[in-house]
Amino acid sequence: MKWINNLESFPYPFKGSTYRYSNNSIPMKTPLCVEVTPDYIEEMQLKRTLLNHHAERCYQSLPHTITGQWEIVELVIDHLAAQYPDQFSVEKKGSKWTFNNKILEEKQEFTFGGESTFPEEPLAFISRHVQEDLILMMQRDGDLYLDAGQLCFPANWSLAFNLGMKFKCIHHPIPGFKEEGLDDRILQFLMRLEAGNPWERKNWSLMAGDRLDTSLETFDQWGKLRKQVTKENAGELVHIRVEVQKLFRLPRTNGILFTINTHLLSLENLVSNREWLKQFHDILSELPPHITDYKGISLYKNEVLKYLSEKLESGKVV
Amino acid sequence: MYKEKTIPVYVKAIEQENEFIRRFTLASVNEELLPKFSGGAHISTYIEHGELLVRQYSLTSNPDDTKHYQIAVRLSDTSRGGSRYWHEKMKVGDQLQISYPKNHFPLSFKAKHHVFYAAGIGITPFLSMMNELHSRGSSFELYYASKTEEACAFYDFLQEHYPNQYRFYFSNKRERINSSSLEEHPIGTHVYFCGPESFISDLTESAYQLGYPPSAVHTERFTPPQPKDMQPFNVQLKDGTLVEVARDQTLLEALLNKGIKAPYSCRVGRCGTCELQVVEGEIAHYDSFFSEDQKQSQSRILTCVSRSKSAMLVLDV
Ligand code: FES
Repeated sequence: MKWINNLESFPYPFKGSTYRYSNNSIPMKTPLCVEVTPDYIEEMQLKRTLLNHHAERCYQSLPHTITGQWEIVELVIDHLAAQYPDQFSVEKKGSKWTFNNKILEEKQEFTFGGESTFPEEPLAFISRHVQEDLILMMQRDGDLYLDAGQLCFPANWSLAFNLGMKFKCIHHPIPGFKEEGLDDRILQFLMRLEAGNPWERKNWSLMAGDRLDTSLETFDQWGKLRKQVTKENAGELVHIRVEVQKLFRLPRTNGILFTINTHLLSLENLVSNREWLKQFHDILSELPPHITDYKGISLYKNEVLKYLSEKLESGKVV
Repeated sequence: MYKEKTIPVYVKAIEQENEFIRRFTLASVNEELLPKFSGGAHISTYIEHGELLVRQYSLTSNPDDTKHYQIAVRLSDTSRGGSRYWHEKMKVGDQLQISYPKNHFPLSFKAKHHVFYAAGIGITPFLSMMNELHSRGSSFELYYASKTEEACAFYDFLQEHYPNQYRFYFSNKRERINSSSLEEHPIGTHVYFCGPESFISDLTESAYQLGYPPSAVHTERFTPPQPKDMQPFNVQLKDGTLVEVARDQTLLEALLNKGIKAPYSCRVGRCGTCELQVVEGEIAHYDSFFSEDQKQSQSRILTCVSRSKSAMLVLDV
């Protein structure tokens, strides 16, 4: 998760002039499940605070996921050490591993695959070293289930509520999702995911405010800002929230790792790129009500549109 | 076109299991550990021999010990080059590419008891499945049919490792797997079939007749082929527009070039986004997305990879 001011590194999510729910996944060019950005230290502090104070909300797992959790530890550590050798390293002597996080100056020895090497579960341990939220889905009897996860920055959903739930039930509340047969198709796609060939997709929404932790449990704290949006303050107050989701098949358990990296950019910053302004304006004005409702934009969509139109007008050369 | 990532390996050892079956031990070229795998997993092997020979083989080694992989290859009478190459040309030290492990034949999670029915080389996927169940302490049995004791692959191995869990059926002794054994399994049993097509379909039919729910009956499925040579074809749209799809072009590209707003995302036949309805014409499916039933219904096409068998396809766009 990050607040971005730098447009170049913003994962701009749009193509074309309309938006509908779809499986917009593409094969990943560089197979990396996590990234380390300049905000690493600051974000790890925020994440660890959430994990320590809201353990239930941010971490859940079912007992049969331990092998899958170890696969995640291995994948994440291998990627960190290979991609950021100056910041992370790992030494493996058989099953005795030493993981060194040089940024936080933390060194951890453990027995890979061993029980009770950490005071917490393997997934909980590794999630304290990466900026991404980490979700483990297990494929059981022809379906996918959310069986473990560390989730600090959810976009309006709840981990505790969805634990052990079938993939299709998790998505059930999305209007239009089921009618379009999309849940079946995405499920079918995920079940065909193969090890060694990871995928990524971007998911976007708008939010009033710049809060990363928009869990269901904290709705009372962030929901009300949505009523305060005006065309005057929209540029500053409203943010576009983009989740970059990466999908990896875990070969030992046949489970799937989702890593979610959440980015926030204020509209003000977004529209400083003329092309983006134009495209976003087209997309938002065309968006059908069932999507605006679900994304929670309906309350202030008109204010945002007025803001965007004014920006478009003012940029015109007369 | 979608090209999966591959791992370079070399042949570390070759053993003659019996007259028709050879076992090959594969190790990573840079001596790294290979990815672990789950019970029932297989790999694709890529061999360059005039043309590219791509074949799928189950991994028969231990899923947790991945210093090397082992596969078992039966010389097929109708070999189109794959198993013949493995048997006649492959030498220790030869290099080839393999895919990451994939699993289209996973163990059931909820089964109370697992029963494997194998005929001949169909034993191979069950080796890693039994290994996994054994290490979990779950209960399973193996019913294994072979022509003779000599031709029975992994005969010694099975006797040594799972002495109380197998039953052999040798046809030279007039022993046959009888579908009546399906009646004896306790409630909550899942059955798995692997072997020649007729073996699988006979058992599957019997299992359904006995009232096994489809979710408790598991059979092996393989990856679809890629097009060998691409032929041009035409499509017709609802408004009568004709679009020509050239030999070196996908249907999706042809549509987009015409300014038609066809949906797409991955462009490699795996995400399902580019699906369009087909009203007329015969589709050649090259995707890894639709199920067999969906393909056979001939009503939907993934435009990014699939093509037409007939000269013309009529689309509902
Ligand atoms: S675009 Fe993904 S299947 Fe065709």
